[in-house]
Amino acid sequence: MSEPTSSWVCPPERTEIIENLVSGVDRYNPSNIGILEDYLYHQTRSEEYDCLANLAILKLYQFNSTLYNSDVVIHILIKALTSSPFPDFHLCVSLLDERPSSANADEPDPLPSILPQLQQLYALLQQCRFPAFWILYLSEDYRVLREEYTVESVAFEDSVRKVVVRAVKAAFTRIGVKRLSSYFNLEGSAFETFVSKLGWTIENEVVIVPPNPDNQIRSTVVHETITLPQLVKVITHTARTG
Amino acid sequence: MAEQRISYWAAEAEVDEDLEDVDLNLAIGSFGQTDLYEDAKSHIDETTLLAMQQQMAQQAFAQIPDVVKRFIVHFYQAVQENNLAEITVAYESGWNRLTERFYAKTEWPEAELIAPLVNDDPIFLILYRELYYRHVYSRLQPNLDDRFHSYENSCELFNYLLNSDGPVTLELPEQWLWDIIDEFIYQYQSFSVWRSKAASKTDDELTSLGDAGQPWSSYSVLNVLYSLIQKSRVHEYINAVQEGKSQEEIGDIVGEYGVLPLYRLLGYFSILGLLRVHTMLGDFTLALKSMENVELNQKSSLTRVTACHVSTYYYVGFCYMMLRRYTDATRTFVTILNLILRMRQYHTRSYQYDQINKTADRMYALFAICNALSPNRLDDNILNIVKERFGEQVAKMSRSEEGIPAFEELFTYACPKFVSANPPPYEDGDALVAYLEEPHIDPAQRHLKDFIADVRAQLPVATLRSFLKLYTSLGTSKLAGFLDADEEEMVQQLMVLKQASRSIGRVGNEKGLLEGSTVSNNDLDFVIDENMVHITESTVGRRYAGWFIRNTEHAQRVYDGLKNSPLPVPIRPINPPTQQQPGQPQQPKSATQGKSVAWGGVKTVG
Repeated sequence: MSEPTSSWVCPPERTEIIENLVSGVDRYNPSNIGILEDYLYHQTRSEEYDCLANLAILKLYQFNSTLYNSDVVIHILIKALTSSPFPDFHLCVSLLDERPSSANADEPDPLPSILPQLQQLYALLQQCRFPAFWILYLSEDYRVLREEYTVESVAFEDSVRKVVVRAVKAAFTRIGVKRLSSYFNLEGSAFETFVSKLGWTIENEVVIVPPNPDNQIRSTVVHETITLPQLVKVITHTARTG
Repeated sequence: MAEQRISYWAAEAEVDEDLEDVDLNLAIGSFGQTDLYEDAKSHIDETTLLAMQQQMAQQAFAQIPDVVKRFIVHFYQAVQENNLAEITVAYESGWNRLTERFYAKTEWPEAELIAPLVNDDPIFLILYRELYYRHVYSRLQPNLDDRFHSYENSCELFNYLLNSDGPVTLELPEQWLWDIIDEFIYQYQSFSVWRSKAASKTDDELTSLGDAGQPWSSYSVLNVLYSLIQKSRVHEYINAVQEGKSQEEIGDIVGEYGVLPLYRLLGYFSILGLLRVHTMLGDFTLALKSMENVELNQKSSLTRVTACHVSTYYYVGFCYMMLRRYTDATRTFVTILNLILRMRQYHTRSYQYDQINKTADRMYALFAICNALSPNRLDDNILNIVKERFGEQVAKMSRSEEGIPAFEELFTYACPKFVSANPPPYEDGDALVAYLEEPHIDPAQRHLKDFIADVRAQLPVATLRSFLKLYTSLGTSKLAGFLDADEEEMVQQLMVLKQASRSIGRVGNEKGLLEGSTVSNNDLDFVIDENMVHITESTVGRRYAGWFIRNTEHAQRVYDGLKNSPLPVPIRPINPPTQQQPGQPQQPKSATQGKSVAWGGVKTVG
């Protein structure tokens, strides 16, 4: 298996400027907030994602409450939402310190009402309750979230489907079309196109998931192995005294 | 102040009786000349006490027990001469013993008071205040002034170290350097927590906090840590050592500051300090990222300070847990808990023993949480201790919804202290009034709530797993029937189970602590073929090698020790009795011999 964290720690798309901000002391300099926010909007408009850079934004907000921009925070959370089952969403939420409400007296902060909704959606994704996710997400209560926020995030629904793909790929060798289509919230030709793009095939109302390290199960017996270096001390001692 | 003075005397009178005891125990030489105390004692009467309440600094100085004065002078000389051995004894033994005897319930004399003893040396006075305030924080209740002044003193110390013309020549023991950084962060945390409780502040405190600007701000604390890291070039040092560079090359790389142990160690401890500060602020990713170059193993560690090892592993393990990397967290705890177990015999008398034990207990609790969420058999020994200590909670945590309070209890007990980065708006009276009217959530509660949300998502997993263990294949409708659950929902839970049995973990020698690969963390594996679940189980044999290797090595050490120790010299006078002794048993022996002969005779006869 490849190393999934190396592209999480440093995505290949990350530029040198951003890398210096993420890894250096300059991350604390409030005047760099613009660069990081622009990078976030770039992620929103493309399908790129850089968790550590986004955490750097939240860190600056944590220390400089005047910089705080709820729009940015919500977009960061939306990006992190679809990283399930990885904990990015929690990592972002952990950095959201309590905010003095007076900071935005003229314009009410949308975060307090949006955050619980995002947390709800995240919980459903984590529990792999995908059909319930779609029902809730498309409900009337979530209209503001959809029409003002996720609409701006390019391919948001597809990135939710990627969460589904990760879960299904690991657990199934074959899965019924009806079941999968309720997970994807796609039907008919849209469903077929999406499935074939994944390289999965449909036969008799059943989707065949190609073999991968997680859906190939094998029972193994693991024996303890002892390496020579572990025994170096014992052997040298015996050689010396024996 | 008056009360404190009285207790000085009270303490002295009490001490008078067993003063000799003090002196004998002090490993530092001749502090304990008792003759001067007789003098002082004769003065204790009410008029003197009254007079003393108006005494000036001079007389306050006279009140300082002579033992203490001598100690301070000696301590000062040791620091002047950079005599590490003497400083260590004074720091680890002398200070603590005198604290027990004289200052268990009061402050040490103020730095201004003892200044004449040490030539008004500003550097020693800064170091003295460092100890003075640490004592106030650990034994007494720091007031607002203490908090502000300890901050100023820390700033002076770091300013002296970082902004003198070139590196300073001061040398301090490793343990003290670690304690300086550790205490600095502790006081920051203590201040942040105290500051966040706006409702319980007196008017005076409110005014002072409003005018104070930003003492102990997160920025200033991080600034100190990063400056020490940069000045000492400790990251470059670690890299150079890992690349196997020669001493000379390393010297060129780390520069005039980095070659000095004082700076190198402060730099190293500051990296570990960052780990802690970031964790307290809820930035678990950055906490681990700060440790990028530090290798977590006993061999490569730059220091022998046990408290530092224990604290580092605690925070790393906790961060892994918050990154939901339970296997890595478990492994981190197992490593250090085993080390603590093995060192226990050597550390019972160390003054940090209590602290180390407390941290260890919290790690057992965190281990219990991780093991409940991702069971494995990494170390049966530790697991058994956990079951002994937290048996009730361990049992509860396996019982789905009922187990939630047990998770909450262990998390709350074992989590680090969290701080919020922003203080209440003390500088703005109206805003403060508004602030006080709103409900506030403690940062620890926020993290707890968030963590429990994850635990909840995983709740069905344990039950499902125990069912699957019984089968090699099973229809989903049948399984749903057993569980009395909706089939579709149960299939979704199976996906959760699958995800829970995979996690990111370190598999080899990844460079940074954040790196890792997807690993399978459970013996049970399964896959769903449309409506049929196929199950397999892997068996992992018990691990014996480590135990045997450790004990063989131990036996060899004991054997060597025995072999190298001189033979006992036989002492003459004992000889006669030893001659007699064989004589005594010889009688029964001959009797048995006779018997056997007789018996033998019988035999031969027969």
